[in-house]
Amino acid sequence: MAGIDSEKYKQNAHKAIADPVLQSALTSLQGRLGPATKKLYNTLPEGQELRKIAHQYRRKAIDNLDVLLETLAENIRSHGGQVHFAPSAEDAVEICVRIALENHVRTVVKGKSMVTEEIGLNDGLEQAGIEVTETDLGEYIIQLAGERPTHIVAPAIHKTREQIGELFTEKLGTPYTDDPPTLTQDARRALREKFLTADMGISGCNLACAETGHITTVSNEGNIRMATTLPKLHVAVMGMERIVANLEEQQAILRLMSMGAASQQIGGYVSYVGGPAAPGHSDGPEQFHLIIVDNGRSKILADETFREMLCCIRCGACLNICPVYGKIGGHSYGSAYSGPVGAVVTPLLFGINDASDLCSGESLCGACRQACPLEINLPRMLLALRSKLSEGDPSWQVKPARNQERWLFRCWQFVNGNRTLYNLFYAVARKAQKILPTQDGMIRKLPYPFNGWTSQRNMQPLAPKTFMQRWQEKQEGKK
Amino acid sequence: MQQTFISTIKQALGRSQGSKPAEDLFTTEPSEHEKIVLTQIQQRTSAQHNANMSRLREVTGPLYVNLHEHSSLEETAEAIAALIKEKSPEWGTEKHVCRWDHPLINQLKLESLPELSGIPIHTTPIFDVTDQARPIPSSQKEQFRAQVEQSFIGITSADYCVAATATLALRSRPGQSRSVSLVPSIHVAVVKEKKLLSTLEELYTLLKWDPAERKEGLTNNLSLISGPSKTGDIELIMVHGAHGPRELHLFIIGEEQ
Repeated sequence: MAGIDSEKYKQNAHKAIADPVLQSALTSLQGRLGPATKKLYNTLPEGQELRKIAHQYRRKAIDNLDVLLETLAENIRSHGGQVHFAPSAEDAVEICVRIALENHVRTVVKGKSMVTEEIGLNDGLEQAGIEVTETDLGEYIIQLAGERPTHIVAPAIHKTREQIGELFTEKLGTPYTDDPPTLTQDARRALREKFLTADMGISGCNLACAETGHITTVSNEGNIRMATTLPKLHVAVMGMERIVANLEEQQAILRLMSMGAASQQIGGYVSYVGGPAAPGHSDGPEQFHLIIVDNGRSKILADETFREMLCCIRCGACLNICPVYGKIGGHSYGSAYSGPVGAVVTPLLFGINDASDLCSGESLCGACRQACPLEINLPRMLLALRSKLSEGDPSWQVKPARNQERWLFRCWQFVNGNRTLYNLFYAVARKAQKILPTQDGMIRKLPYPFNGWTSQRNMQPLAPKTFMQRWQEKQEGKK
Repeated sequence: MQQTFISTIKQALGRSQGSKPAEDLFTTEPSEHEKIVLTQIQQRTSAQHNANMSRLREVTGPLYVNLHEHSSLEETAEAIAALIKEKSPEWGTEKHVCRWDHPLINQLKLESLPELSGIPIHTTPIFDVTDQARPIPSSQKEQFRAQVEQSFIGITSADYCVAATATLALRSRPGQSRSVSLVPSIHVAVVKEKKLLSTLEELYTLLKWDPAERKEGLTNNLSLISGPSKTGDIELIMVHGAHGPRELHLFIIGEEQ
C-alpha cells in the first residue's frame, strides 16, 4: 500500500483508544519489549558508549553516501550481482516488475521490508499479474486480512488469536483453532508450499556493508533465508541510506539494532548476501538484483535539520516506549512508518502538510531518543517540523498550516511582553471565567476557538491573584 | 541512471561547494584493540576453552538450542544416528536425511552405520567448474533440491560457533549447501570444540583481519544462525518452527584425550 492516509489521524486515534483489544496488545508489547531493550543496552561489552559511537558511524556513512553507494555497487557487481538505482518509488516498482516479467515470474515470496511497503511494490507486482505472498507470519496475517501493519517489527499485534483463527479458517480452509502453535503450523504448511514453488524472492536490506559488498537481512522466523535461497531470483530493495562503510561498523550497528528491534543480542538469522550463487554451488539464486531507492531521501539529505533522520535503521525501539504510540497504535499514523519514527519520516517523505497531525500528536517527552539504539534526536526533529508548519517553508512546500493559531500566539506574545496589558488581560479573564461551566472546581468547557483544549480534559481556572500580586503583598506584609 | 542518482546525492551533500568525502572511510589495518583480540584467539588456553564451553552451556537453553557434547567422532555419529531414529518426519512418512560434503561430516561415516541402513542420506553434490565449457547439469541441482525437500534432518558443520550467543557462522562453498541448514525440520550442526569463539566481536575480528579469512571473504552468502526458527507474531507468544528448522541440535566434539 503506497501513499498515506494520515489525514485521518485524529479519527483513527479515537477509534484505537476505544478498541480494548488493541489497548491490551499495546500495553503488553510496551511492557515487554521496552524494558527488555533498556536492560540489554546495559549488557553491551563496550558499554552504553557504543550507542554514541554507532551514531557517529551512521552519521559518517550518511555524509559520505555518494562514495559508499558507488563502492557497494562496484563490489556487488564484481560478485556477479546486478545493481539498479531508482530515483522514485515508481522507478523502483518498474525496475522490479521488469525483472520479474523478463524472467517469466508468476509467483513471488517476500520477506518483511519497510521500503517495499513505502513504495507500494506489492500493488505494482499484482497489477502485472504476479502473485505476491508476504512470508513473515505477522505480515502474512495482515495480507490475508487486507490490512496495514500496525508495528514495524510486530505487524499483527492488533489481532487476537481468535481473530487469526477465524481468518485462517476463512482464507486457508484450516479447522478453527485459537492455539498459537497450531496457527503457526498452519501458516508454516501453507507458506512452505509457496517457498518451494516461487519463481522470485524479494527482501529488504537492514544495513549494507560497502567495503565487503554485502546487503544484510535479519529475521527470526527464517522466512527471509527461505525467500532468498530457494527461488531462482533474489531481488533486494534498499533505501539508499541503509549502508555503512566497513564490517566493524556494520556489526556494531547490527547488534544494537537487534536489541532495539526484538531485545536480542543478535537476530536469529542474519545473512550477508553479496551476489547470486557462486559457480559450482549446489543452491542459491541464479540472479541477484539490488534496487537502491531514493524516493525523497536526497531531499532529507540536503537539509541539515533533518539529515540525522537518515541515520535511522527502522528497528522500532521508539514504538515500544512512546506514550502516544502506546495509546493510538500504528494504524493512526496512516503510513508504513508509525510511532515517533513515522511522525518524522512520513511528513518528510510524503509531504509535511499532508501528515501535519503526526508531529503535532507526539508529546515531545523525549522517551524515543532514550530508547533509540543510536540515540537519534527525534524530539528535535518533531519540533523542527512543527516550526515549519507554523511559519511555512517554501523549500519543503509547507504552507503555514494554522493561520489562526499563529495569529493567536502573536497576540499572546504581545500581551505577555507588556506588564500593564498582561495585568489587564488577567483581570478581565479572571472575571470572565466565572460564566464558564465547571466541574469539581475545574473549568469543563472553554469557548471557541479554545474548545479543543477542554475536549479531552478539564482546566484549572485562573487563580484569584497572580504570583506577582501575592509576592508583592507578602513583601509589603513583612515591612 | 547510476550517474544521475549519485549526482543528486553529491548535490545534496554540497560536493560542488567544497564538501569533500572523508578519507578514512575504509579501514586497511587492524586497530590496537583488534590486534589484541586476534592474539587472544590464537593463544587461547585450555582454561579459556573450558570457559567458552560453560558459557555455551548457559546460553543454549534459553535459545532453545539442544547442546550435545561428545569426545569422539564415533560417539557423535552414534548420537546423531540415535536422533535420526528417534525423531519423526514432519511432512511425510519416509525418513530422509541430507548433509554437507564437508571433511568433518564425512568423517562421521553415517552411511556405514548399521542402525541407519534403509535411511537414505543425501550428500551435497560438488560440481566440477574447472571446465568452463561444460555447464553444470541443472538436473543434478534439481535432484539434490528434491532430496533436501524430502529430508527431515539436515546435517552441516559451521566455520565457527560463538559461545556468548550460540551463533553458528556458515559460509557458502561447493558442497556446503545453504538449504541443508534451512529446509529440513531439524538442523544438526557438528562443530569441533576448537572452533568455539567467545564473542561476536571475536568472530567479526577474525572475518575481517585474519589473513586466511580475509582472502576468502564473507563469500556471496554468510549466514549467522542463533537458535531454531521462531516467531512471536501471534499475541507475542513464542512459537518455534515458523519457517526454518523447528529444532537445532548442536554437537560439539571435544579434543580426544
